[in-house]
Amino acid sequence: MDINIRIAGEAGQGVQSVGGLLVGALAAQGLHVLATQSYMSRIRGGLNWFDVRVGDSELHGPREKADLLVALTDAALRVLGGELTSHGLAIFDGEQAGGAAAIPFTAVAKELAQSAVMANTVAAGAVYRALGYDLEFLSGHLRKLFAKKGDEIVEKNLRCAARGAELAEGLAGKLEAPRAGRSPRSVVSGASAIGLGAATAGVKLVAAYPMTPGTGVLTDLAARADRYGIVVEQAEDEIAAINMVCGAVYAGAPALATTSGGGFALMVEGLSLAGMMELPAVVVIAQRPGPATGLPTRTAQQDLRFAVHAGHGEFARAIYAPGTHAQCFELTRRALETAHRFQTPALILTDQYLQDVQKNIEPLDESPRPIDRCLTAGGADSQRYAVTDSGVSPRAVPGGDAFVVCDSDEHTPDGHITEDIDAHLAQTEKRLRKLRAMTAEALPPALYGPADAQTLLICWGSTYGPCREAVDRLNDFGGSYEMLHFPQVWPINAPAVSALLGWRQRVIVVEGNQTAQFAGILKEHGVIGPVETCLRYDGLPFTAEYIMERVRR
Amino acid sequence: MNLCQADTRPAWCPGCGNYAILKAFDRAVAESGLDGRKLVVVSGIGQAAKLPHYVARPANVFNGLHGRALPAATGIKLANHELTVVVASGDGDMYGEGGNHLLHAVRRNIGVKAFVHDNQVYGLTEGQASPTSDPGFVTKVQTHGVVSLPMNPLAIAIVEEASFVARSFSGDGEHLVEMMKLALAADGFALLDILQPCVTFNRTNTFKWYKDRVRLVPAGHDPRDRDAALRLAFAWGERIPIGVYWRSERPSFESLCDALKDRPLAAPLG
Ligand SMILES: Cc1ncc(C[n+]2csc(CCOP(=O)(O)OP(=O)(O)O)c2C)c(N)n1
Ligand code: SF4
Ligand SMILES: [Mg+2]
Repeated sequence: MDINIRIAGEAGQGVQSVGGLLVGALAAQGLHVLATQSYMSRIRGGLNWFDVRVGDSELHGPREKADLLVALTDAALRVLGGELTSHGLAIFDGEQAGGAAAIPFTAVAKELAQSAVMANTVAAGAVYRALGYDLEFLSGHLRKLFAKKGDEIVEKNLRCAARGAELAEGLAGKLEAPRAGRSPRSVVSGASAIGLGAATAGVKLVAAYPMTPGTGVLTDLAARADRYGIVVEQAEDEIAAINMVCGAVYAGAPALATTSGGGFALMVEGLSLAGMMELPAVVVIAQRPGPATGLPTRTAQQDLRFAVHAGHGEFARAIYAPGTHAQCFELTRRALETAHRFQTPALILTDQYLQDVQKNIEPLDESPRPIDRCLTAGGADSQRYAVTDSGVSPRAVPGGDAFVVCDSDEHTPDGHITEDIDAHLAQTEKRLRKLRAMTAEALPPALYGPADAQTLLICWGSTYGPCREAVDRLNDFGGSYEMLHFPQVWPINAPAVSALLGWRQRVIVVEGNQTAQFAGILKEHGVIGPVETCLRYDGLPFTAEYIMERVRR
Repeated sequence: MNLCQADTRPAWCPGCGNYAILKAFDRAVAESGLDGRKLVVVSGIGQAAKLPHYVARPANVFNGLHGRALPAATGIKLANHELTVVVASGDGDMYGEGGNHLLHAVRRNIGVKAFVHDNQVYGLTEGQASPTSDPGFVTKVQTHGVVSLPMNPLAIAIVEEASFVARSFSGDGEHLVEMMKLALAADGFALLDILQPCVTFNRTNTFKWYKDRVRLVPAGHDPRDRDAALRLAFAWGERIPIGVYWRSERPSFESLCDALKDRPLAAPLG
């Protein structure tokens, strides 16, 4: 049982504040929450909304429609009023609003608190009453939230919440709301789970140029910098960012860059440098629809092929695609580990949806657990690029006994520039030999749902949650569906994947692009033949409804 | 195919100014008492940028991408600020492809020492104009001669208050060693522009052309006087001053990073 609350208004109107308030209070009350944001690339005006989905059990993805719309502007009511579920309700900030319940949040806030800002609290109070929840939970959350600001502010907020609830009295009981039970208390976004993964793994330098939706990881790590001892530098451009990362990891400090597709495009030569110099550079790519500037604040899975092929020349890379908050955390650590073990770049593919989606989950372990940098001390005559069976050479960093010589030109085992054909062959084969072990160790995709179901949904990255919910609901309606989710999309261990696929009546690849990029990659690996696809590329996140509508026969 | 035999070291033309710069570099490092293990020589791509491979005493080397030596050097310095980080670069590498990074390295005042072999031409790619080529300079690409004004990197570094800004000449070994040593000893960002004849692709700015023009910075020059420093930076033509143009007391970027207060970011092994 769940309900979807949608707060909508202009940028700068406090849509996020109402949403944030509700998320905090509802989670503290023992409900499961999953909050997504839909916003325009502007600081004022437009139409933004914040969905808070509330449930009595774990939620895995967003919903298309709202059950309760809180419209802060006329436009919000006009545009989104039609996007309600059949039993849905709307509350409008004003005196009159056609079919919607009119509650003058702003006027009330001005009257009670002499501040329009507290309209947010009035709205939260109204939502609480409309859902039939005990206002004391909201009040408790407000007390905690504003304790530092003093008693007067707390009091005003409490009064605003109470009045909001009073004014919504007429709505009580009209909606069925999930009952609170026990839910995990830690509310995180995908971006902050990635940040925490990086910080606990021992990332020491973060270099980035702001670009939505990648910036979330940058600000998260900036907030953690003092605690974990991280230097966060806003580079002059993405080219500088990736080269700073290359310099830092060469010198032994785990480092990370974060960006979106356009910024990653500028990093591509640097990525190739990391491949050639055999440096453990890690980049988080938060996807948004392109090409070019595209839709800056929307979501997509369009940069998979780009990530797989980015960089001139041939070199090994690992690409992770987390699907849950826990995976954001774990796979960031894993990407850093893999990069260091194999001395080659690793990428983390997320997207606007995953970066921004907030959910209450079991608390992540915040204690520092630095990854193994896989270094050797080396000596005066150690060779940075000694040719080995595994392709991985012992790596030392400058400052110790070794002289660490690295070159972006082809080089001899001692790292010095060469144009010798034999030396080139030995090095270029050595670099790609790493792929053997990297492929064998690639994270296997995970099956979910009843074994050997007739229809298999294949997905990767952030599509995990919506796809999982779709599978559950399709099976509830008597379907036979299973899903296979890839948390790592490169390299592909083809035999291992084929073994999981088995025989199916239907195989449907679900992904957020127009050209079925991942399906193409799986075909190239001989893992699948002709398949059906369920694609979404309108810039909005997948939902279970979206998938169900398209895969059902 | 084994081409090692054919791989001459260094890969520079006989008579090239780079030889003198390499010699001065080796002397400056030795006379500064630097331990090669604590020294990282960073470069981009170009004839000048090959210098790290030819240094006499072993050191750590990061020979990265064309134009990107400075951000890499910045990453290295931030990872381990106890290392001495020197960039060897050409005018194309540092002022062309890497121009934006120069602006920001100076703005940060990161403790990196940039030695720019300024031959006013792209050597490695066979003779196109560079950002410091003089107007009228004819090449196979600039067939009617360069029309743009040359960039003035020293003025930029002075205006942005780098710790140390100087110019020298590959034809004056003693002076060059002296300038390199001063740059190595400076705290924040140091820019040393080194006039370097390219005997193959720059027949205008020849050894004699530079020799006839370079003059020591006047004895009374105060390197903390910004106006005077800028006058030196704009002196180009019949007389080209060599010496220390500018110094500032600005703290280095790394000295202002809280996370670096106790120890370098890159924890030592063990
Ligand atoms: C991204 C990129 N663009 C272009 C080149 C080709 N390239 C190599 S060196 C160079 C210019 C060299 O000029 P300069 O830095 O002045 O060095 P010099 O050879 O004169 O010492 C160019 C254009 C390259 N290596 N990488
Ligand atoms: S091309 Fe010019 S800069 Fe390059 S080695 Fe020859 S003389 Fe020196
Ligand atoms: Mg040059």
